[in-house]
Amino acid sequence: MGIAILAVMAVGVVLMLTRKVPTAFALTFLAVAIALLSGASLLGAENSVAGTVMQEGAPMLAATMIAILLGSWLGTLMADTGIASTLVRKIVEFGGERPTLVALGVFCVAILCGSITGSAPAAMLAGVVGIPAMIAVGVPPVVAAGTVLMGIAAGLPLELIGWQFLSDAIGVPIETVRHFQIRLFPIALLGGVAYIVVEMRRRGARHAWAVRAPSAPAAGSGARDRRARRGDAPWYALVTPLVPIALALGLHVPIIPSLAVGLLYALVTTVPPRQLGERALRTLYQAFDVAAPPIALFIAIGMLLSAVRLPGAVSALNPIVAALSPSGPLLFVLVFAVLVPLCLYRGPFNIYGLGAGVAGVLVSGGIYPTPAVLGLMASYGQVLGVSDPTSTQTVWSAQYAGVRPERAMASTLPYTWVIAVGGLLLTAFLFLR
Amino acid sequence: MTPSPFDRDTSALAGRCAALAGLGDAELGARLLRATPTHENRPDGVLGTWARTAVEVGRELADAPSPAAGVRVREASGGVGAGEIVLAEYHHRSSEVVLRGDALELAGALVELAGWEAWFPPERVREAAVWHELAHRMLHGAPSRDLRRRLDHRVAGAGRFRLRGHVAGADEVVAHTVAHRRSGLGRSPMLLTLGLAEALPYTSAGRARPRPYPALLGG
Repeated sequence: MGIAILAVMAVGVVLMLTRKVPTAFALTFLAVAIALLSGASLLGAENSVAGTVMQEGAPMLAATMIAILLGSWLGTLMADTGIASTLVRKIVEFGGERPTLVALGVFCVAILCGSITGSAPAAMLAGVVGIPAMIAVGVPPVVAAGTVLMGIAAGLPLELIGWQFLSDAIGVPIETVRHFQIRLFPIALLGGVAYIVVEMRRRGARHAWAVRAPSAPAAGSGARDRRARRGDAPWYALVTPLVPIALALGLHVPIIPSLAVGLLYALVTTVPPRQLGERALRTLYQAFDVAAPPIALFIAIGMLLSAVRLPGAVSALNPIVAALSPSGPLLFVLVFAVLVPLCLYRGPFNIYGLGAGVAGVLVSGGIYPTPAVLGLMASYGQVLGVSDPTSTQTVWSAQYAGVRPERAMASTLPYTWVIAVGGLLLTAFLFLR
Repeated sequence: MTPSPFDRDTSALAGRCAALAGLGDAELGARLLRATPTHENRPDGVLGTWARTAVEVGRELADAPSPAAGVRVREASGGVGAGEIVLAEYHHRSSEVVLRGDALELAGALVELAGWEAWFPPERVREAAVWHELAHRMLHGAPSRDLRRRLDHRVAGAGRFRLRGHVAGADEVVAHTVAHRRSGLGRSPMLLTLGLAEALPYTSAGRARPRPYPALLGG
């Protein structure tokens, strides 16, 4: 039966990879199929498709979903009030003639954006102004896209939404997630800086006689007009992205209140008091649009996690996974370092897809200590967050810079692979000794 | 006969191009700056002043000795992408100018449509494209510092101390002015640049834009 479940998972990967079925729907079908193959009944209070997988699984990541909504709201507010674009503008003004310096500055802004919200919204927050600004000062387009992506990934270990997700999905306390992610952050930071410095030295600056289509009036144009009337965001508003991180890291405030205080700070420092209510509500409604895709995905991931945790699935998959999984810290690092590409193209180690199921199997089978599974998935997250040409942030950043996503992958993968190996070494050192 | 790259009724485009042709170099420069990221919120007056200064600097720089020694020029396609046209590029590391043939052809089609043949003969446009890139090579060290000083964009300061900021896009205005003077075009390449920006929505490639959520529900 374990082989049948793995075959169904392989079909799921093919469906996602070929875009025949959207990821969230494919994961839902997978969850139901795995549950049925595991011997779960259709109805019933315990170990059933309707009760366990759908009713209990769908809201399993509810705390993550609320964090996503708040993070998206904060991201929308940062775009609406000009906090992100002001940060980029200041960087260009101070470092304009030195492309590497501007890229490093935008990298820092991307870290802040990546620590607030994830995926394409974070890329857009840093990249809408940051990518053309970098290209305008001579950063090659592929490096401009890679810089934003590396920055967002470097911000991932500080992203409170990510903490909540890993905690919910893998079943470890937030403190454990925080303990690992804080140690992963310098590795990701160093990898990002190395990418910018090495690639800028290797490729050199590039200037072009180029023409871009004028921006079409869109949903954001009203916000742009309002911002144009107001000018830049005030300097004290620019620290907004640091507020939730400081609260969660420094004062150990729980994630949702930390994000809520960040929201309040952004509102109070950028919006006149009489407009507070209207602006807060409008940006909240806009945030639902931004948050809808990841929330749909996390509903499906919750169901998949419930399915692979069913007793039938655990007993079917455990012998296979135990036989295939490397034992000992050295083999753990070596084998999973070689398997890094399996998290690309929606592969089986993509934590925002089938990887969540694989993590569930590894945890429920007791193959590794739970924190080691967290380390494995967080390390792989560094690769797929930057180099996966099917990730929305990668596609958006590459296309916005005028390059193909595969070029962004080729440019960044050597660095993200090294970062992932660093994460695996850290995992082995912390949890497998 | 080469098929037209424009797949929509271009009568409105011709009118827009005629309106652009009525603008002077400084006004064209200000419009280029307005389209440059980081200047969305600047007042028109500030952009106009910066554009005038950049045009002046470009005119002076055009009289400087030629920096063409050691620069290779080659031609390739791939200049017409989604929502963007690249006519030429200069790679500092390899000292190479790449002319994008397909983008220059598109520029030629616009010149014909707008009736600008006398201002922008094809060979001169190619020459201007090379000079545009050489101007970026010239804008290093002292000329760059001079441009920054004359633009005088103060971003911080106290008393006599002042920190001047970089004005994104001003180097483009300088490069276009150098190209204009050196190639002998009838009008500044800034006119052609702004005309092409207007023309992009009339081409299928120009209308293509990156989509924020390409994978329907992907992460």
